[in-house]
Amino acid sequence: MTTTLSQPSASPDTKRQDGSSRVTLLRAIHAVQVWLLPVLLVMEFVVFSFLSPFFLTVQNLTNVAVNAADLALIAAGLTLVILMGGIDVSTGFAVGMLSWVVASLMNAGQPPIVVFLAALAGGVVVGLINGLLTARLAIPSIVATLGTSALFQTGLFALWNSRDIFSTPVFPFLSGGARIGDLPVLVLIVLAVYLVLHAVLTQTKFGRSIYAIGSNVEAAKLAGINVRRVRVACSIILGVLVGVAACTYLARVGVVQASSGGELTMLAIASVVVGGTSILGGEGSVLRTLGGVLFIIVLDNGIVLAGVPSLWNGLIVGVVILVAVSINGLAVLINARKDRTL
Amino acid sequence: MSNQKNTTPSRGTISQGASSAAPAPRSGGRLVGLSHLGKDRRVVLLGLIVLALVVMSLISPYFLNTANLLTLLQYSAVIGVLALGQSLVILGGGGGIDLSIGSTLSLCSVSFGLLSVNGGISPWLAALITLGVGAVLGLINGVFITLLRLPPLIVTLGTLYLYASAAMVLANGVDINGFDRDGFSTIGQTSVLGVPFQVLMVLIPLFLFGAFVMRRTIFGRQVYATGSNAHAASLAGINVRRIRISLYMIASTLAAVGAIITASWLLNARPAAGTGFELQAITIAVLGGTAITGGVGKLSGTFLALILVAILNSGMQLAGIGSTYQIGLLGLVLIGSMLMRPRGATQATTV
Repeated sequence: MTTTLSQPSASPDTKRQDGSSRVTLLRAIHAVQVWLLPVLLVMEFVVFSFLSPFFLTVQNLTNVAVNAADLALIAAGLTLVILMGGIDVSTGFAVGMLSWVVASLMNAGQPPIVVFLAALAGGVVVGLINGLLTARLAIPSIVATLGTSALFQTGLFALWNSRDIFSTPVFPFLSGGARIGDLPVLVLIVLAVYLVLHAVLTQTKFGRSIYAIGSNVEAAKLAGINVRRVRVACSIILGVLVGVAACTYLARVGVVQASSGGELTMLAIASVVVGGTSILGGEGSVLRTLGGVLFIIVLDNGIVLAGVPSLWNGLIVGVVILVAVSINGLAVLINARKDRTL
Repeated sequence: MSNQKNTTPSRGTISQGASSAAPAPRSGGRLVGLSHLGKDRRVVLLGLIVLALVVMSLISPYFLNTANLLTLLQYSAVIGVLALGQSLVILGGGGGIDLSIGSTLSLCSVSFGLLSVNGGISPWLAALITLGVGAVLGLINGVFITLLRLPPLIVTLGTLYLYASAAMVLANGVDINGFDRDGFSTIGQTSVLGVPFQVLMVLIPLFLFGAFVMRRTIFGRQVYATGSNAHAASLAGINVRRIRISLYMIASTLAAVGAIITASWLLNARPAAGTGFELQAITIAVLGGTAITGGVGKLSGTFLALILVAILNSGMQLAGIGSTYQIGLLGLVLIGSMLMRPRGATQATTV
């Protein structure tokens, strides 16, 4: 914090000096951007373990990880969409709607694999709708997904029809019971999803084209990238992950109600942003998002364990989003000011 | 000034700003027919309003009843002032959007309730202070967005959490009652010339004043210039940051107005009073022809969109369809209104 704040006052002097101090400053800014989240995470762990003796137990931490599964899955897919400069505010109610489908199929006695595939198919449909509206019909993604969010919310409400549906998990391991050593299988699966997406983003042509579109759409088009197809593909990937998240959500909560899942929308966006992926696109990674998810879910858990009334939750999450984004924004701002003087 | 007048759009949804001057995309081709018809968004909206009126009165014989039309207007006053503020913020460009507007209304409701009940001051004075609270909440949004150059979407997402939660904490999660003094219920529960007070004396004057400011004053033209091309505007000597900060402050102050109307109407201050209103406000602004990229749109369009949405909501209510279905219809209308855009606007907003 203090290093960042001291930089603006230092800038008039560095302007007159030679390049070396400028390079040092740029390096410092870069360090702030890279190390901000890890430092905040460590601080969080230290503070909460002082506040509650229960916090740093294996049982609590595995619980936290299991409960974060649905949020982590959505945030991973959302990162791809945000990397291209898009946004999706419909994910929460999409999860709610699909979890209703999953719960009623389970209650109808369908085999788990069929239910799971149905969730995936439903996710593909959700992704396809959002993808076509934003990429093909060129509706700004914030407007389009606000619209679809309203539709999914209404869809869930209509399906729910004043009857809460209780259901067992689609697969037993989704509730986090099955473990390899101390690690729940569910957590390993989530980590695997992140590693695969990270590999796709960094090692494949598809991944690079996502960054290219996020940095400069026109340039990406001129470079021969089929922007629409990549956009729709990313929406579908997000949709599939939303479908999986619907299954883990149901396993965690056990019941589908009129507004199930709605709270996930903003938390997912917050996770991506706190992780440090730029909302303007072109910069970021899924691994950063994983850090963001961890940060937010640990914050949530720690606040409860520390005995803070739950009414304060949103207040703290809001402040954290603003502070994290501001520090990052400040770093970018100073960076841009330096660029201009170069 | 005359230069700026030329760059501002004077013909509804056909955007003339620099941002939309790029060649039209192929996909826009089949929308050309519609774009001729919809040259002025307001004509389309008027047509839709007439259509909705006819359909609704066929569905329910009670629809064209005066009492019903008045309740319809009563409900729309709060959403209307929010949509007015939202339109202004979006017009200012730079990705301008205010997701926190509903939470701002909630927090203003609570601070009004606390001031007038726990603080024991006159509700009228409390209302005045609440306007100030609204302005400060907008200032917070504006400072984060302009001085730190953070995306409005993220900042107002953060303050959406912050303000809503602050409202809950301050009110301790319960409604605040007991400010029905000094004739405070005049705003929400009386009529002037048969029209609800809050519509005739608050909503309509605010829209008229807003339209006048946007059309006839330097500030209004500067907003359009900033929204169309912020760089050009700043080269022309416009203080872009100050314009945008004031827009966020105006929007939040209008949310405070909405909070006061709600309090006077329902005679209680709820900590969740504004939850979900941001969707409705954005929908009405966009439906009214305000381009999400800024610089294009008119407040008269927003007003017509407000009437249309109010008619649809009220019609569904009469037909016995629940409020959650109204949200769905709003979503459909929002997406539909984006599909009716002329091709110029399509190109301008591909991100």
